[in-house]
Amino acid sequence: MHFDAANLLPILPEIAVLLTAAIVLVVDLYIDERHREVIHGLTLIGLVVAIALTGVVGGGATELVFAGNVVRDPLADLLKGAILVVSLLVFIYARPWLRDRGMLVGEFYMLGLFSILGMLVMVAANSFVTVYLGLELLALSLYALVAFDRDSSRGAEAAMKYFVLGALGSGMLLYGISMVYGATGSVEFGAVAEALATQGMENKVLVFGLVFMVIGIGFKFGAVPFHMWLPDVYEGAPTPVVLLLGSAPKIAAFGLAIRLLVDGLGSLQADWQGMLLILAVLSIGLGNVVAIAQRNIKRMLAYSTISHVGFIFLGLLAGTEQGYAAAMFYTITYAVMATGAFGILIILSRKGFDAERIEDLKGLNERDSWYAAMMALVMFSMAGVPPLVGFMGKLLVLEAVVRIGFVWLAVVAVIFSIIGAFYYLRVVRYIYFDKPEEDAPALASSGGVRVAMSLNGLALLALGVFPATLLALCQSVFGA
Amino acid sequence: MLECCDPINASHSQRLIMNLTLVVLVPFLGAALTGWVSRYGRLRSAWMAGAVTALALACLLPSLPVPFTGEPLIQRLPWMPGLGLDLVFRLDGLGLLFAMMILGIGLLVIIYARYYLDADDCMGRFYAYLLLFMGSMLGIVLAENLILLLMFWELTSLSSFLLISYWRHRQDARQGARMALTVTGLGGLALLGGFLLLGEIAGSYELSVILASGEAIRAHPLYSPMLVLVLLGAFTKSAQFPFHFWLPRAMAAPTPVSAYLHSATMVKAGIFLLARLFPALSGTPLWSVLVMSAGLATLLIGAWIALFKHDLKGLLAYSTVSHLGLITLLFGIGTPLAAVAGVFHIINHATFKASLFMAAGIIDHECGTRDMRRINGLWHFMPYTATLAMVASASMAGVPLFNGFLSKEMFFAEAANFFDLSTWSWVLPVTVVIASALAVAYSLRFIHDVFFNGEPHDLQRTPHEPPHWMKVPVEILVAICLLVGIFPGFTVEPLLAVAADSVLQCNSPAHDLAIWHGFNSAFAMSVIALLGGLLIYAARRPLFMIAARHEGLIDAGVLFGRTQQAVIGAARAVTTAFDTGSLQRLVALLLIGALGLGAVGLLGVSAPLTGTATLVPADGISLIVALGLGAGAIATTVLHRQRFTALIVVGVLGLLIALIFAKFSAPDLALTQLSVEVVTIVLLLLALYFLPQHTPAESSRVRRVRDLGLAAIAGLGTTALAWGILTRPGATISGYFLDNSVPGGGGSNVVNVILVDFRGFDTLGEITVLALAGLGIYAMLKGLRLPGMTLDPSGRPWNWDLHPTIMAALTRLLLPLALLVSAFIFLRGHNQPGGGFIAGLITAVALIMQYLTNGVEWTHRRLHGNMHPVIASGLLVGTLTGMASFVFGHPFLTSTFSHVHWPLVGDFELASAMAFDLGVYLVVVGSTLLILIHLGLMRSAATQERD
Repeated sequence: MHFDAANLLPILPEIAVLLTAAIVLVVDLYIDERHREVIHGLTLIGLVVAIALTGVVGGGATELVFAGNVVRDPLADLLKGAILVVSLLVFIYARPWLRDRGMLVGEFYMLGLFSILGMLVMVAANSFVTVYLGLELLALSLYALVAFDRDSSRGAEAAMKYFVLGALGSGMLLYGISMVYGATGSVEFGAVAEALATQGMENKVLVFGLVFMVIGIGFKFGAVPFHMWLPDVYEGAPTPVVLLLGSAPKIAAFGLAIRLLVDGLGSLQADWQGMLLILAVLSIGLGNVVAIAQRNIKRMLAYSTISHVGFIFLGLLAGTEQGYAAAMFYTITYAVMATGAFGILIILSRKGFDAERIEDLKGLNERDSWYAAMMALVMFSMAGVPPLVGFMGKLLVLEAVVRIGFVWLAVVAVIFSIIGAFYYLRVVRYIYFDKPEEDAPALASSGGVRVAMSLNGLALLALGVFPATLLALCQSVFGA
Repeated sequence: MLECCDPINASHSQRLIMNLTLVVLVPFLGAALTGWVSRYGRLRSAWMAGAVTALALACLLPSLPVPFTGEPLIQRLPWMPGLGLDLVFRLDGLGLLFAMMILGIGLLVIIYARYYLDADDCMGRFYAYLLLFMGSMLGIVLAENLILLLMFWELTSLSSFLLISYWRHRQDARQGARMALTVTGLGGLALLGGFLLLGEIAGSYELSVILASGEAIRAHPLYSPMLVLVLLGAFTKSAQFPFHFWLPRAMAAPTPVSAYLHSATMVKAGIFLLARLFPALSGTPLWSVLVMSAGLATLLIGAWIALFKHDLKGLLAYSTVSHLGLITLLFGIGTPLAAVAGVFHIINHATFKASLFMAAGIIDHECGTRDMRRINGLWHFMPYTATLAMVASASMAGVPLFNGFLSKEMFFAEAANFFDLSTWSWVLPVTVVIASALAVAYSLRFIHDVFFNGEPHDLQRTPHEPPHWMKVPVEILVAICLLVGIFPGFTVEPLLAVAADSVLQCNSPAHDLAIWHGFNSAFAMSVIALLGGLLIYAARRPLFMIAARHEGLIDAGVLFGRTQQAVIGAARAVTTAFDTGSLQRLVALLLIGALGLGAVGLLGVSAPLTGTATLVPADGISLIVALGLGAGAIATTVLHRQRFTALIVVGVLGLLIALIFAKFSAPDLALTQLSVEVVTIVLLLLALYFLPQHTPAESSRVRRVRDLGLAAIAGLGTTALAWGILTRPGATISGYFLDNSVPGGGGSNVVNVILVDFRGFDTLGEITVLALAGLGIYAMLKGLRLPGMTLDPSGRPWNWDLHPTIMAALTRLLLPLALLVSAFIFLRGHNQPGGGFIAGLITAVALIMQYLTNGVEWTHRRLHGNMHPVIASGLLVGTLTGMASFVFGHPFLTSTFSHVHWPLVGDFELASAMAFDLGVYLVVVGSTLLILIHLGLMRSAATQERD
């Protein structure tokens, strides 16, 4: 084994997260109940350090380390940064919830950190094996987190479903990987791409490898018809876990899709375009329509996620640099939106009560007009109302789709987002037009949460009005 | 802000670059400021709002002369350079006209609202919303870029939502606001689609480019879908039939809002868009058909309903709908003169309708009601206001000397001209005359019912003239009506000309704004309309009865509600069909999805499934084993309800697999498989003890058939895939290891050399995981009490005679033998099949046998049950072996080997990897025993509990 310590430099952010997890694990053993919040502080510090390290080691030419298994390129830099920032928000929002229920324990933070590590590995992967490693680290941490509230039978059921379906999904991805490996003789993206360029689609095994890989990606994103786990898991899991599960992993899934489909199987673009097209149309259609019928806001947001995934796929299937950049922009901004939405749900919850029904948002404006405004921003942004960033994302994606001549697809997407706007507006209606329940107490939230939520909500506005910086970053990743 | 208002300090060019942006930005910033100022007194917010509007107007002033030069003023700020999108604003005649209207009427509305709002209405909020809306509107009319236009477009939907729902406590206000937002917001999304297409067609989102490439746009194949989408946006905004229903419902807004939004601004946005894109989109049959029919239907239906509304604002709302239809119709006709007339009517309608709304607001304010059946004879109470309102409604009716007459005359002329063009063309002038007669009738009703026609009925208060400043805005607007109506050439002509020029993108045709054009068809139509209106009004009683009977017949609002219900119903249906939460169904759906996509892959590519590799003929043993595997798998499935039996069959499957390994010359794997199989089965048996032995059959026959089908297809699919892979020649990596095993690792058993040498680092990781798994299970099971079974399914008690004597004796005899075998396998591992892993498993199995047959207590008396030291020492040995290579200056886990000659045994190879293998051995033994013993102990704990 020949090992060069220089290999470690580009993965310093990952190392920081791993170290934080290890420190949390050990500190949690020896700390007494009253000082548990130290863990929270340690986690935040670790994440901030990781963000800083991402900035420090980021930029510059692409570096391949660990014998070509890990890559540090602009894509990895940007996605890592986004994942870490979103995760930071997640932990900030989660703390009051955990503390109120006596669940502020090391396990949550440790598993959360490991899932973040998994995401970082996923986006920095340069071979099928690395990508799978990261994916499973993420998935296993999340399975456990979903069942984190051990007394909740719904949580256990959700975890069970998530695990069974997730194992199937991972299995299919692995199946696809093994077939591609069989056809190309390599697991490293560069070598695979090279082999494919000469081989083309003459190999049926390769076609199936691609199919299974797309299924795996569709599953991890939650695209129809591989979305089934999403609503149940969102509904059953504790809200902080949904917050973690519904935000940053989407960014990682985007990394997964780009790594597998573009870096690895880029020359099969014509083939996966059709498959993604099916998934995208089904997702946008089903997600938006079914969301209307939901009374549970977590379920509604699950279906809304599905429809947004459809939009991300639209950008991906365009197969152009513009499309990838648009999808990336969409993914990152969606993660910020989702964080805000679930963050508000956590703020609305209190000991012995979890905000789950849409009615629980009734009269939020009278209870706390600032949070009401933030939630309205999130909802309008998800609906795609300018000048919020959701509109920009949709615009960019649709433009990319129109550019490749899929006009009908853009029209279909627009029609379904019109339907989709309906349920977001319904939430706004509850916030502003309805009286709060008689027994609804005032919202108690710490200053940190308020600052984070304000940043989160206003970011949607700021990114919508000044999208240039983020967009330019996304475009620079794909060299457009 | 300061920069633009201080022209001395700023250079000319700089000021020009910024000022349009400022015109748009100032109201937005002002909105925040106004909201903030209202903390210090409600009236201050009114002053602030007025000041902000004046400031925006002042910012516009320096550029005022530019449109009159004929060239649009375009100002650009970089925004999204990556996408070629800039913050570009454009000031041309049309933009100027609208900007003036928005700011001018805005200022009047601000003054008016200051007196209109009650003391308990929050004024700051009102003005903040109003300014937000004003800024959005200005953005629409000044945008050069379509995307920018669209953003402001949606912002007007949002801010109008806020304004309409200003009285939040009122149910109708909330509902009206929601409906307005839904309809116009959705229209906005349609517009987004249309703009995307338009941008794609024209190659740019900039209006300058689009307006110049009308020919190319109209000839493009995407023209039709694009036009439909754009028109959807425009029609929803401008309340064109069948999307008109939101406008009357939006009348729940405070009257100043109606006066602003529903006369001059919001609803005019759609018209503005028609005018803006007129040069690019108009002139095709599709345009004419769509725009004209929408306009005509709106014109007629609006006028008809307006006549029968008892609510004062309802009447004005529907008359607005009707007039918007008129303007739309003019743009639909599409001739240059019609476009000029359309622009002219935009101005006129804005002035008279705003003043009428304000007058209606005054009446509402003074009487406390807007029901025209109760407010009569107001002339006696407020003659001054009555005069103003009468002038305005005369203008609305199209009476000569008022501005409405002029544009209506042009409209009639265009309608009459249209008559020559085709066979069905008579419909247009006739309908137009009927609608105009209706307009005369409702204007008449407004005047007669409200100001004359008897005495007011049961009003809560005695009406009187409003405060002076509340009337001033109305006075100004009415004055404009009169001035424009009498001296069109001096007042409105220059602005109209320049606006029409920019609508047509060329010099507008000669038009004469004189009041008197001689006796022509237009004049005749005017006369007919005026007389007809008088007649209709005279005969209104029977008409009212007819209308009352048919009320709500053409109410698209109901349709809207139904559509909403239908969508929700569909959503519910889909939810109940797919979203049941049953894991079985979820898995089935997942499989179906995967099979579907697989089928796409199978059928999509014509390449053959079978590869090129030459096939080896099947031999007897392989065939039998394969059949056995198939039979075993089927038997497991069939027997799955009898768990113990099924488990035994699974064990058979494992043994068959071991046979396959042996057949294909992999004795190592066969040995491993065999040992692992034993350990796994024991593990499963221990776990199954706590589950019911029998699973009841719960799924229906249909479901079983479905699952069988799914499983069969999935099985066939995987078989096909396996076939595809196996028939392809593949390069294996075994060659490298075969070549390097002896020279590099000093062992001829490649598998073992890989485990302990080539991939030693991996193995170290694996044994660590194994150790952790053991410890984890130990931690979870420690102290856990689970009630076990006391009866078997048939109700017989379990046999507690645990240790059959013969078997116990036999296994005791077997132990030393097994340990010897284990040691043998361990030592030969490096060259012959064997190794630490297998040896560990054999030892573990031998010891477990003791536990199984002799019981835990007996065994623990002889063998210490604490496995932690064993596991720890195994890991330690493994790690230390790896570290040892550091001492010799090699990287971690570098191995070395030498040969020693043992007496009796012969030549023996001693590799450093051997020590590592010892670590593996220890960890495997320790972990396996730890897990199995504690699973077993759990039962005995449960038994003790029972006792």
